Amino acid sequence: MQILIIEDDTQTARFIQKGLQESGYVVDHEADGQSGLERAMANQYDALIIDRMLPGLDGLKIIERLRGQGFNVPILVLSALGDVDQRVEGLKAGGDDYLVKPYAFSELLARLQSIIRRHQPQQELNFLQVGDLKIDLLKRKVTRNDKRIALQPKEYILLECLMRNAGQVVTRTMLLDKVWDYNFDPQTNVVDVHISRLRSKIDRDYDVKLLKTVRGSGYILSAPDTDD
Amino acid sequence: MIKSGIFRRILNTSVFRLSLLNAVLFSLIAAVALISVYKVAETKINQQVDTRLQLQTNLLLRTYNSYAVEGLLELLDIYTQKDDPPFFFYLLINRSDLDLTKIVKPDKVIRNNNQWFATRPLGGMAKYINGHKPEDEARVLLTILPGGYQLLVGTELKETRELLNQLFKAILVAIPIIFAVSISIGFLMARNMVNRINTVTDTAKNIIEGDLSQRIPLVEDRNNEFDRLSLSLNRMLGRNEELMQSMQQVTNNLAHDLRNPLNRIRNRLESAQIRKMNKDEYSDVVEHTIEDIDGVISTFNALLSIAQIESGLPRKNWQTFSVNELLNDLSDMYEAVAQEQGKRWLCKAEENLQLYGNKQLIAQLLTNLLDNAFKYTPDNGEIKLTARRDNNNNIQISIADNGSGIPKEEHDKVFKRFHRLDSARSTEGNGLGLSLVKAVADLHNAKITFDDNHPGLLVTVNFKENNDKNM
Repeated sequence: MQILIIEDDTQTARFIQKGLQESGYVVDHEADGQSGLERAMANQYDALIIDRMLPGLDGLKIIERLRGQGFNVPILVLSALGDVDQRVEGLKAGGDDYLVKPYAFSELLARLQSIIRRHQPQQELNFLQVGDLKIDLLKRKVTRNDKRIALQPKEYILLECLMRNAGQVVTRTMLLDKVWDYNFDPQTNVVDVHISRLRSKIDRDYDVKLLKTVRGSGYILSAPDTDD
Repeated sequence: MIKSGIFRRILNTSVFRLSLLNAVLFSLIAAVALISVYKVAETKINQQVDTRLQLQTNLLLRTYNSYAVEGLLELLDIYTQKDDPPFFFYLLINRSDLDLTKIVKPDKVIRNNNQWFATRPLGGMAKYINGHKPEDEARVLLTILPGGYQLLVGTELKETRELLNQLFKAILVAIPIIFAVSISIGFLMARNMVNRINTVTDTAKNIIEGDLSQRIPLVEDRNNEFDRLSLSLNRMLGRNEELMQSMQQVTNNLAHDLRNPLNRIRNRLESAQIRKMNKDEYSDVVEHTIEDIDGVISTFNALLSIAQIESGLPRKNWQTFSVNELLNDLSDMYEAVAQEQGKRWLCKAEENLQLYGNKQLIAQLLTNLLDNAFKYTPDNGEIKLTARRDNNNNIQISIADNGSGIPKEEHDKVFKRFHRLDSARSTEGNGLGLSLVKAVADLHNAKITFDDNHPGLLVTVNFKENNDKNM
C-alpha cells in the first residue's frame, strides 16, 4: 500500500513515515503544498495524509482540487486547529477523516486503516463474519455459532463498526464518533462500559474470545487465525 | 502656571471655539437688529416732525385763506408770544424782501412746487427768528403763498437729534456687552466641561499607570450625560478588572496544573536516564509519561474549547434538534455505566421538546454534568436526567444526583476555571468541566441553577423559550 504524507513539519512527517513503514506501508513525503498536490495527481496512492496548514498551498485547497478533478483517494486531514467548525470544514472540503494534533500514533493508524478499507471496492455485503460471529446486515441479526444474540440498537451499531474494521484497532474516539456521533471524550468510561457489555453478550460464553482490548489505544475484533 | 495651563486648555477646547464663534455671530446679529431699530426710529421721528409741520402749516393756511396776510400776521403774533420756548418758529415774508426759495433748498417737494420740506441750519433766516441760534439745525416747511408772500414753519431738530444720538450710544454700548456676556458663558461652559473631562483623563492615566481599581468620580445628585458616561465607563472598567483578575487566576492555575505533570515527567525521564533499568521498567516509565502528557493535552484542549466557546463561536453549525433524541442517546450511554457502577438511573422527558443550538456542545454540557454526577454519587445512589417545559415555555434540563452537593457559598465559584471543591481535590479531573458547562450555557443564553437534592445536587439548565431560530 502506498501512502503520501503532505506535512511541512519534517519531524512529524518522519515519525508518521517510520510508524507506517513498520506497519507495512510504502510512504512518500512532500513538505510543500503545491508539489504535494502534483505528486498526488501523478501517482496512484492508496491514501493521503494532509496537514491543513501548508506552505505553498493550503491543505483544504489541495483536497478541493483533487476532488474537483475526480480523485477519490481516501484522505486523512491532520490539523492543529481543533474546534467543531474546523472539523466540519475539513470534512466538507472532501476529507474522509480529521485528526487533531497532538494525537496518538495508534489513533492515526486506526483511522487511516478505516478510511482505506471504506474506500476499497466491495460488493454490497449482506453478511459480516469474524470467526463464528456473524451479522446479517439485512435482518440486523447477530449470531455466534449459529446461536442468536440479542443486542440493543447501540450495541448492534457498535458491533457492526468493529466487524467492518475486523482485524484492525478501533479507538475510543472513533467509536464515540461513529456510534454516538460525539466528537468529544466524556470523562466517564462510557465506551469501556459498552464494550464490556457487548463482550459479555458475544464472548462470555465462548472459549475463543474475539473482542480484545488494545491497551492505550482501543479495541480489536478478530478471529484467532487472523490475529497477529 | 497651572492656571495658565488650564486657561490654554480651555481656549483649545472645541466647546470654547464653538462658543466664541457663537458669540461673534450672536453679536453681529444683535448689531444688525439694533441698527435697524435705530434706523426705524429715526425715520419715524422725522416723519412725525414733518407731519406736525404740515398740520401747523395747514392751520395757518386756513387763517390766510379767510383773513389774508393781516389775519395770518395777527395769529402768528399770538403763537410766538404764547409758546415759551416756542415749539415752532414762523417766518412770513414778501419775496421782494427775502427770496426764501433761494435759501431753502427743497429735499421733499409737495403740492405742485408750492410747498417743500428742507433740513438746514437756521443761519440766513436767524435774524428773523427770536430765541434761536443760527447754527442750530432745523426742519422747515416752506409754502409759497399767492401774491408774493412766503410762509415758513420750522421746528428745531436739537431734541430729536439728541434722542437719536442717545439711542445710538446705547446700541454702541450694548453690542460689546452682549459679546462679552456670551463669550463668558461659553468660557464657563467650556471650563466645566474641561474639568469633567480632565477627571476622566486623570482616571485613565492612573489606570494606564497600573492602578486598575481607579474609577471616575461622580457628581452627586445629578444624572446628566457626563454622569451617565462616567457610570458606563466605570462599569466597563469594573468588567475589565474582573476579566484581568480571572485571566491572572487562570494563568496561575494553569502554571500550577501543568507544572505538576511536567515535573513528574521530568523526574521520571531523569531517573530513567541515570538508573539502569530493565525493559519492563522502561516501558513503565514510557507508559506513565504518555499518560501525564495526555493529561496535559486534555487540559489544554479543554481550555482552548472554553476560550473558543466564550469568544462566541459562529453559529454555522446551529440547528433545531430534538431534546428527546439527545436524552435518549445519553440515557442509552449512561444507563450502562450506572448498571456497571451499581447506581440507579432514571431518564424522563416531556414529549416534543426542541432546541435550537449546537447539538454537540449541548451534548458535551450534559455529559460534563453527568460525569460529575456519576463521579460523586455513591454506590446505590440515584442519578436522574429529566427534561420538561416550564410555565414560561422554557426548556429545563435537570440532572439530580445523591453526591456530596455543592455548598451554597461555592455556587458562583465552581464555574471558574480550575476551581475545585476541597472535597474533590483528591479525585481525578482538571477543574474545567463546569467552566465549559457555563461557557456553553452562556453561548445558548441558558441559565444554570444549583439546588439541594436532599441529599445531593440538582443542576438545572434553563434554555429560554426564544432560543429558537429567530435568535
